[in-house]
Amino acid sequence: MARYILRRVLLALPALLGLVLLTFVLTRVIPADPAATLAGDAATPAQLGEIRARYGLDRPLWEQAVTHVRQVVSGDLGNSIFSGRPVMEEIRFRLPATLELTFVALLLAAGLGIPLGLVAALDHNGPVDHLVRVVSVGGLAIASFWLAIMLQLLFSMEWDLLPLRGRIDVAAGAPAAVTGFFLIDSLLAGRLDQFADALRHLVLPAVTLCLPGLASIARFTRSGVLETLQKDFVLYARAAGYGRVRLAAIYVLRNAVTVTVAQIGLLFGALISGAVAVEAIYDWPGLGTYAVQAILAADYKALLAVTLVVGVVYAVVNVVVDVVQALIDPRVVEQVK
Amino acid sequence: MRLRAALLAALLILPGLAGPAAAQPRPMVWGDALPATLDPHAIFDVPSQFVLLNVYDGLYRYQGNPPQLVPWLAETHGVTADGLTWDFTLREGIRFHDGSAMTAEDVVYSFRRLLAMNRAPAAAFTPVLKPENVTALDARRVRFVLSTPYAPFLAAMPLVAIVNPRLLQANEKNGDMGQEWLAANGAGSGAYRIDAATYRARTTLDLERFPGHFRGWADNPKPIDQVRSRPVMETSTRVLALLRGEIDATDSYLPTDQVERVERNARTRVAKDESMRVFILRMNNRKPPFDNRDARLCFAHAFNYQGFNEIILKGMVIRNAGPNPNNLWGNPEDLKPYPFDLAKARQHCDAARAAGAPLGREIEVHIQSELEQTVQSAQMFQADLRRVGVNLKIVPSTWPQITGATGRPETTPDMWVHWVSAYFIDPENWIGQMYDSRFHGTWKASAWYRNEQVDALLARARTSLDQAERARLYAEATKLVVADSPDIWVYNTVNLRGLTRRVQGYSFSPVGSGGELRTMSLAE
Repeated sequence: MARYILRRVLLALPALLGLVLLTFVLTRVIPADPAATLAGDAATPAQLGEIRARYGLDRPLWEQAVTHVRQVVSGDLGNSIFSGRPVMEEIRFRLPATLELTFVALLLAAGLGIPLGLVAALDHNGPVDHLVRVVSVGGLAIASFWLAIMLQLLFSMEWDLLPLRGRIDVAAGAPAAVTGFFLIDSLLAGRLDQFADALRHLVLPAVTLCLPGLASIARFTRSGVLETLQKDFVLYARAAGYGRVRLAAIYVLRNAVTVTVAQIGLLFGALISGAVAVEAIYDWPGLGTYAVQAILAADYKALLAVTLVVGVVYAVVNVVVDVVQALIDPRVVEQVK
Repeated sequence: MRLRAALLAALLILPGLAGPAAAQPRPMVWGDALPATLDPHAIFDVPSQFVLLNVYDGLYRYQGNPPQLVPWLAETHGVTADGLTWDFTLREGIRFHDGSAMTAEDVVYSFRRLLAMNRAPAAAFTPVLKPENVTALDARRVRFVLSTPYAPFLAAMPLVAIVNPRLLQANEKNGDMGQEWLAANGAGSGAYRIDAATYRARTTLDLERFPGHFRGWADNPKPIDQVRSRPVMETSTRVLALLRGEIDATDSYLPTDQVERVERNARTRVAKDESMRVFILRMNNRKPPFDNRDARLCFAHAFNYQGFNEIILKGMVIRNAGPNPNNLWGNPEDLKPYPFDLAKARQHCDAARAAGAPLGREIEVHIQSELEQTVQSAQMFQADLRRVGVNLKIVPSTWPQITGATGRPETTPDMWVHWVSAYFIDPENWIGQMYDSRFHGTWKASAWYRNEQVDALLARARTSLDQAERARLYAEATKLVVADSPDIWVYNTVNLRGLTRRVQGYSFSPVGSGGELRTMSLAE
């Protein structure tokens, strides 16, 4: 098992190096000029030249790329051109916000999607199956920014049940930062009021974000279960007298869900990119809003760091998914050997 | 109803955990944007003025509307007849937030830091001021010796924050003059100080009133002690947050279609103040067909000013005839705005075509995708231009992309859409930097307009210290520029800021857009 994990980790490294290079080239060929925004009004061409030289923007692209890779490998993501602060420090506060939101959304998507898929498959072509189909098609089709605004209008404005925006109420204040996850930090600080407030703030964004994932997890589980139900071992188990529920929930689901678990790894990427719109509307101070601000300001250092961090998180999540898959289905490790 | 009851039951459990609600009044929550950095010498845009006005002080400051330039940290100033030597005397008893006294040496340090960093707020000074020519005469007097006479020097004074060198020197890293540190900290003397521990770039800034501010607090019996700046990114969320009372103020560019909704709400209102921010459609005068005056006049007559200002923007802007805002000095009295007149436009286009101007080619207009008005104006213009046989193509872009391209005439777009805001209150900020060819290569001068007569008038106006003469020179230059029609000037902005009704003492000035907290209080 340890060798299997090591192998997965090593495979992720070249992918990350490729990501570093590709994003660098992409952000630098965009014709936006950070120097022009830095220098501001009425800066003379000479002033612009001086700024370009100061930030190394006048060097050949390959030279800039080498400097960049060297920096990244040494663990330094540089300073944001605009704020002048280390990019890592800005990301440190924003990454936990995005992860907290995506993890909760993922939990909701898997926690609801897998049972929904299972019951839909068991009621193949029945009314439950149709209902789940409507929900999952709807979940994939509804634009998240529209849904977000509708939920805000209903739950915050009309019914006054949930907060409209942000991670925590201004009066409650943020919990002392330990992990950056408000749900964890508030419990560590023993502040149940902050925990409840953070949880209330999470409901609408997490529901908005989880919907497309929930839909595809339900679809994948359903088809996996349907396929497994056709297998011989199910027939034998049934013949051996296993009850319908026990058979479905334990034997069928374990065999059917490996595809879904692999799907969750891919979904995580979709969730993080989906978080950009959701974060913007709910004013969630995460990486998505940070990336948008970086794009609008042509802050390529910040942008490169965001893509790299998201890439690392994505790689880690997928290693974890591979391991979980191997735990559920030991045949995966055997195949690799 | 049953659904609502069920939801209520489920959700009431959560706040049940929350314990008794805090009894003290809700702090003031400011929902306007925060700048990318808190360093007042590193950036100069609309959001940065919130920090500049509240955390820092300058030698002079704009107050009120129309803006008056009043002595602030400085008590008086004097200038020699040649306009080169300027002496400023500091008031007595000014203290920084750390309790140390402000001296003339601190002013010298601040200006030298500004010039050495050479970022946005320095642009007004670098052509005329060398760092070594800022000196302290004694503990309270500072001398500036300019390399050439520069009349807008005083008008640009409020751009420069006086910072506390002791804090910056203690936090210097690799000779960066404390840049990295100041980006997330405060080193000012202003009416409010920064809580650096809770600061998160662009999302959270907590301000606390500074009781020792040099102006004292006698003119505001109930000042606000705690201010929480919580920028709301998305416009729709920002408006909803105001209506719900989650924030006390929006930005000052409330969409005009939201004004009625905010005014109808019992706990919110809209502050409407004429500003100095001109909306412009630029034309690249170096690129055919815009090197032809008739072609430019054709475009100027084909924009439906009335429709855009009165219908799309619901009349909440003021038609502006030329490059300077209407409410600024230095405009000719009889300046007439171009009318929307398609017959006239056609005549000019025909004349241009006869002279060989390539009006048949597709003309590109670059818009700033995230700013809706730039999109709307281009779409409306596209429809009207089609009626005079011109094909306009709308190209989505962003501010850094466009300003990165305006360095050379070949890369500057055919047309682009933007505003020119009030950085300092002087025609130099508008017509001076937009149409004097010495500024070619900057985004402000991206029309690439050149008229030697105008250049000469603007150069004289820049160096003269006689206010009446300057006004006359700018009026004359404006007449010539408007006759040449290098760009399309559309309107002057009325700033619209949504406020909760408990906010009292809000006072607007075009520089800072009403973000000065010193005069505000909260009614209970």
